[in-house]
Amino acid sequence: MAINDLPIVGDSFALGYRFQRYWDTPMANAFFFGELGAGLFFVSLLLGSAQGMLAGLLITGLLKTYFHLSHMGVPKRSWRAIMRPDRSWVSRGLLGIVGLMGFGGATVLIAWTGILAPDSLLVLLLKLAAGAAALVVMTYQGLAMSHSTAIAFWNTGLMPVASLAYAMTGGVMLLLAAVPESAQSLLPVALLLHLCIAAILLSMLHAARHGSPGARKSAELLTRTTYAKWFLVLVCGAGVLLPVLLLWLAGSVPTVALTAAAGTLAGYYTFRLLVFKAGVYEPIMSFRP
Amino acid sequence: MARYGMVFDLKRCIGCNACVVACKQENALPEGVFFTRTLSEEYGVYPAVNRVYIPTLCNHCEDAPCEKVCPSGATYTRPDGIVMVNPETCIGCGSCAVACPYDQRSEMKAESFKDGLFGTGELTPFEQQGYPRYTPGMVTKCDFCSGRVDAGLDPACVVTCPTEARIFGDLDDPESKPSQLIRERNGRPPLPEKNTRPKVYYID
Repeated sequence: MAINDLPIVGDSFALGYRFQRYWDTPMANAFFFGELGAGLFFVSLLLGSAQGMLAGLLITGLLKTYFHLSHMGVPKRSWRAIMRPDRSWVSRGLLGIVGLMGFGGATVLIAWTGILAPDSLLVLLLKLAAGAAALVVMTYQGLAMSHSTAIAFWNTGLMPVASLAYAMTGGVMLLLAAVPESAQSLLPVALLLHLCIAAILLSMLHAARHGSPGARKSAELLTRTTYAKWFLVLVCGAGVLLPVLLLWLAGSVPTVALTAAAGTLAGYYTFRLLVFKAGVYEPIMSFRP
Repeated sequence: MARYGMVFDLKRCIGCNACVVACKQENALPEGVFFTRTLSEEYGVYPAVNRVYIPTLCNHCEDAPCEKVCPSGATYTRPDGIVMVNPETCIGCGSCAVACPYDQRSEMKAESFKDGLFGTGELTPFEQQGYPRYTPGMVTKCDFCSGRVDAGLDPACVVTCPTEARIFGDLDDPESKPSQLIRERNGRPPLPEKNTRPKVYYID
């Protein structure tokens, strides 16, 4: 039997594809809120919105941390995840989160209290460090996934690019919905980011369909079988097409921007969840006995 | 220093799963956790149909992806090549599980340790003596029965196999049984395209 013809066998004692089941909903929640918060912080930092930066820090600091701890098998030892930054993206990401909370928190505090001049060297350095940490938090999860040769669908350089694009888009859309006055400057950026996401999704599916057997199986799950309706309706429809149409037609209307943001976030969250759910291990024998 | 590995003779395996039971017993594994499995696969078209049994366990890769991604350093390789997990430092993040191409990592769910095999909340004497070696919530795997190997014994699955389909030994010793079998019968590692350099080989 050829490897392509083998079925998905779940946890049974049969040869075939197996779903990865270790990273599931709590991890998807942690990834989603981590990237969204860091994206919101980064965009707010660029636009000088202290409220946006604070909201971003709270989303990442509270929600990402909560869902990560609920995923951990031994949560009281979670601090140990910082031990191997020389080889693990999880360790590097945790350092990024600590940096974001420290440098980002200091930036917000200074902006709020005005204890230092906004154009002083220290403030500029703090902003640079906070922005760099936010970039790490936005991308490290995609990098951690892309390093997994076990799950062929994840094993692509497009994974961190998708993380970055979705995080930035989420941040821009949250600001657009919360601060309608920013529509003038954010609308073109939001449209461009949605088009980037569309291009990334298409590239990921194309690479998977022409990749190894495991990646082909994942692409099939997402576009033709088990998860197709969720992927096509929520990730592609609500997450990309709907916001592009709404923003293009009437993006400066607050209720329209709010609806577009809701669609983007629904698509983003579904993407995060489905990427985990559609991840499969390849059959252990790639040769016929 | 030896470099331990294993050979599976697919012509000999009869799919009795005695190895699976021996492993669960030796390692006091909770319900639903297996360090070794014997997968079955039917192939051919009637009347020329056949079934093959494919034993699997941790391949103790030379270039172990699970070790590379472990953020706490809990996964490490001993000098004799056995890939181990330290129950004192594993945080149960699952990074190793999504990095292992062979799906050979097992999550030790905390509930299993509380509920016990019969789900009554009381542990049997067997569980009471076996479970302290794990931390509830950790992610672990086969260690080639390292305690037995240190005592000069073969892993439990190897000594239990009634057809001697599992052959364990030093891969660096050209005269060892596994080295000879790999050489003479063209031993092949699982998923060689993943570049993990497994120390487990299949012969047929």
